[in-house]
Amino acid sequence: MKITVVKKMKADGTLCRKSANVIDDLNRLGLIDQIDEFVAAEEHEPTSQGIALALKHNVDAAPFFIVEEGDSTRVYTTYFLFLKEIFNQEVSEDDEIAEIMAQNPDLSFI
Amino acid sequence: MQLDITHLALEYENKDPQEILKLALDKFDRISISFSGAEDVILIDMASKIKADFNVFSIDTGRLHPETYQLLDQVREHYGIPLEIVFPESSEVETLVKEKGLFSFYRDGHQECCGIRKVRPLRRKLATLDAWITGQRKDQSPSTRATIPVVQIDAGFSTSNHKIIKFNPLANWSSAQVWQYIVVNKVPYNTLHTKGFISIGCEPCTRTVLPNQHEREARWWWEEAVDKECGFHKANLVRNESGVAR
Ligand code: SF4
Repeated sequence: MKITVVKKMKADGTLCRKSANVIDDLNRLGLIDQIDEFVAAEEHEPTSQGIALALKHNVDAAPFFIVEEGDSTRVYTTYFLFLKEIFNQEVSEDDEIAEIMAQNPDLSFI
Repeated sequence: MQLDITHLALEYENKDPQEILKLALDKFDRISISFSGAEDVILIDMASKIKADFNVFSIDTGRLHPETYQLLDQVREHYGIPLEIVFPESSEVETLVKEKGLFSFYRDGHQECCGIRKVRPLRRKLATLDAWITGQRKDQSPSTRATIPVVQIDAGFSTSNHKIIKFNPLANWSSAQVWQYIVVNKVPYNTLHTKGFISIGCEPCTRTVLPNQHEREARWWWEEAVDKECGFHKANLVRNESGVAR
């Protein structure tokens, strides 16, 4: 299995907030060493590898997670699902809902 | 069922809402229209002209305007449909209110209350479906809805074992087109629209706005605009698409 994390690098060279939080969390959980590759999607570099991957997988926000296993490729845009399904981590429903809402601000309009 | 959603989104991008709705209702049995009690009522009217038997649900947060409850009942009678009302988990609402009162959203932001009263019940409902239909339109919020496709995999609620497809048949319609449809087809509508509301949500979190203001300004006006720093700028994706091999 190969796990790639695509993180967003802002124009000022720092990570976007969610990418930074996810990397902190992977560190906290001791999972960071299980990530094979971190790829940057650079805000001011449309040809960066991360932007190309976002386009390829039709993803519009960072971070996202690509899991390749044999012929199959799974792309996770939600961190909690990635944690649950790839690392069997327990995730609280509060955290899941908070992430779903952060990624889909329009949900509040339902 | 295997559908190529990206391909369908392209194929149906310029089709009428009725064609998109027909596709949705033809392809899925476990599908339901999400009705918010606002202009999305036209989806119900359109569906009623496609087939007699279709499902509709609304989420009752417990904080809706009386006019919205009246419309829900009016729609049920007018179309003769068993409109399903989905409620939040009472114990979760009780805990929230006990700990933080009835207006915590003014102090703590709307996410917690919306999470309990809307998103959790929505997730519970969607777990019983394979697809849902929303009334989201691009013109409602240029910042968050400008790129919504007419059909997409719902990444927020899908899991590896259960993909949920979201149809947005009105994505490309303007408010003017919606209102023309309402008038021409004599569709029942929320009387709040005659009182200056363009966006209809929960009573404490919705206000009237001035002409040409956007939906977001009618909701949670005491909060900052949405934080978008983690999104990829559309221009970047377009430029990349034209200039770089994948
Ligand atoms: S819109 Fe307001 S009252 Fe309704 S669920 Fe959200 S925060 Fe609560």
